[in-house]
Amino acid sequence: MEIIEKEQAGVSIFKLVGRLDSKTSPEFEKRIFDVIEKGSKNMIADFEDLDYISSAGLRVILKATKDLKRAEGKFVLCSMKDYVKEVFEISGFDSFLPIVDSMDDAFKKI
Amino acid sequence: MVNTQISFELKNNLSELDTLEEKLNQFCSRIGLVNRCLCEINLVLEELFTNTISYGYDDEAEHWITFKLSYQNGTIRVEIEDDGAPFNPIEAKEPDIECALEERRIGGLGIHLTKKIMDEMVHRRIGDKNILILKKELTDSPLKDT
Repeated sequence: MEIIEKEQAGVSIFKLVGRLDSKTSPEFEKRIFDVIEKGSKNMIADFEDLDYISSAGLRVILKATKDLKRAEGKFVLCSMKDYVKEVFEISGFDSFLPIVDSMDDAFKKI
Repeated sequence: MVNTQISFELKNNLSELDTLEEKLNQFCSRIGLVNRCLCEINLVLEELFTNTISYGYDDEAEHWITFKLSYQNGTIRVEIEDDGAPFNPIEAKEPDIECALEERRIGGLGIHLTKKIMDEMVHRRIGDKNILILKKELTDSPLKDT
């Protein structure tokens, strides 16, 4: 999996390419928490090129969401493929995590 | 009528996830499985496999987990056999997916996802083996992704 990181208007943006599973999620976890440690409070994860997610990926997202909420920040996810969104919905993650269709919509949520 | 099966064994090591994906891709391309269903079955297999290797063994030894996938009459059947500790995922406690964020846990989500994705799940303990049989009926005729 490739993780492309950038910053825009004070928001950390992660674009994930490939699969977020038990093997690749530790790397994503490290990258997110590096950025949180440096003081970033608002984050967008662009899932346009994410082909697959398992509960290992959800675990990283849950942990980051909790930390960002404590720091009074926000985590927004955007551009998910429908079967990736299905995993979030079945897991009940859509009740606490803003999931939107585009990067523009994601910025509006921050 | 398409009648396909594939069997393979994985060691109790996370690195085997690549082989799992490869074998599943081989199987699914033979039966022309759509992307969504391929991902769903991959998810189920990954969740069950990682649970077994994380919690099923209390030694450092190498163990093998056997997978048998078959497809017939529009139904995918998955059989997973391991020699880990007795465990019936059907009886596992359901995670709370409605509580507040602070109380949310990941534990149990893999099995929860499996139960929602698969149509049928049967567990047997035979000797020192856990045998799990799962089925999913494909609602549309399998079509190759365009």
